[in-house]
Amino acid sequence: MRVLVIIPSYNEQSSIRATVNELREQAPDVDILAVNDCSSDSTQAILTELKVRHLRLPVNLGIGGAVQAGYKFADLNGYDIAVQLDADGQHDPKYIKDLIAPIEAGEADLVTGSRFIEKEGFQTSGMRRFGIKLLNGLIHLVCGVKVTDATSGFRAVSRRLIVIYSGEYPTDYPEPEAIVMAKMNGMRIREIPVVMRDRTGGRSSIRLINSIYYMIKVSIAIVLRRIQ
Amino acid sequence: MSLTLQLSMVIAELIYFGMIFYFLKKKMLSIKYSLLWLVFGVVMVVFTAFPVLFWRFMGLFGVESPMNGLFSILLFFVFTIIMSLTAIVSRQSERIRALVQSQALLEERIRRLEDKE
Repeated sequence: MRVLVIIPSYNEQSSIRATVNELREQAPDVDILAVNDCSSDSTQAILTELKVRHLRLPVNLGIGGAVQAGYKFADLNGYDIAVQLDADGQHDPKYIKDLIAPIEAGEADLVTGSRFIEKEGFQTSGMRRFGIKLLNGLIHLVCGVKVTDATSGFRAVSRRLIVIYSGEYPTDYPEPEAIVMAKMNGMRIREIPVVMRDRTGGRSSIRLINSIYYMIKVSIAIVLRRIQ
Repeated sequence: MSLTLQLSMVIAELIYFGMIFYFLKKKMLSIKYSLLWLVFGVVMVVFTAFPVLFWRFMGLFGVESPMNGLFSILLFFVFTIIMSLTAIVSRQSERIRALVQSQALLEERIRRLEDKE
């Protein structure tokens, strides 16, 4: 099966090189597509230098728009599986084979990597874990899907779901909402344990000031998905 | 309604319609979006010409002071317009997103084809 690894990249000059190199080493048989979301630093120069396939968004769309561009690429180029991997080094490419295994076996359409199943590695702050628990609960409430790491951006997607996501994908903080969207479209969702690392570069797109906005926005989005 | 008030309203409405006409003529406003403004203007003209109608209309809604009624109508109208603007902006950002993505996909394809040559 043809696998595309999508790396949304916004100002990732400090980590993108290591991420791509590690990916090439650990998962040589997958194709890589970086999506440069109109970075203002030297991300573009590094992507060109690495000769890694990449999209250049002419204006900044945010993570949702960047990831969706990747899904559109996967759709247009007939990929069977798309994997989302953060550019900041949090996601270890050695788990890609575990992520895609359930899809290859035809048992799932969306496989997310959770750092909270075996509770190893980087576990993030208590406040964030609490927020993530709330979102997990809300997702379970609205559509019956049990996940332990709703915000995980480390995930693999089947061909069927690639087509759906390339047509429509949530905008701002897409991960939890994308799970609900998949479920509402009748997709099979599974979660596997992964060990995440602390980010090597960049910083979380969810900072303290934005957390309340994040929680409210994502909660509304999840509920809306259910009633749409 | 005093004659002075009536006159002031006529002047205000003239400026109002003059602006809409100007924007339409300069193509700064599409006809589609000017309709809501025009409808509101016509309503105001009718009420200025026949104040009694306005008084009665307000009475229907249990408004005791017509001026308060006028302010309520204005607020309601302004909110409607703002909401429709937000809807328009949301739809446009959806479209811009799709355009940006397809531009990026085409640009990548051109780069790939040029590299092959």
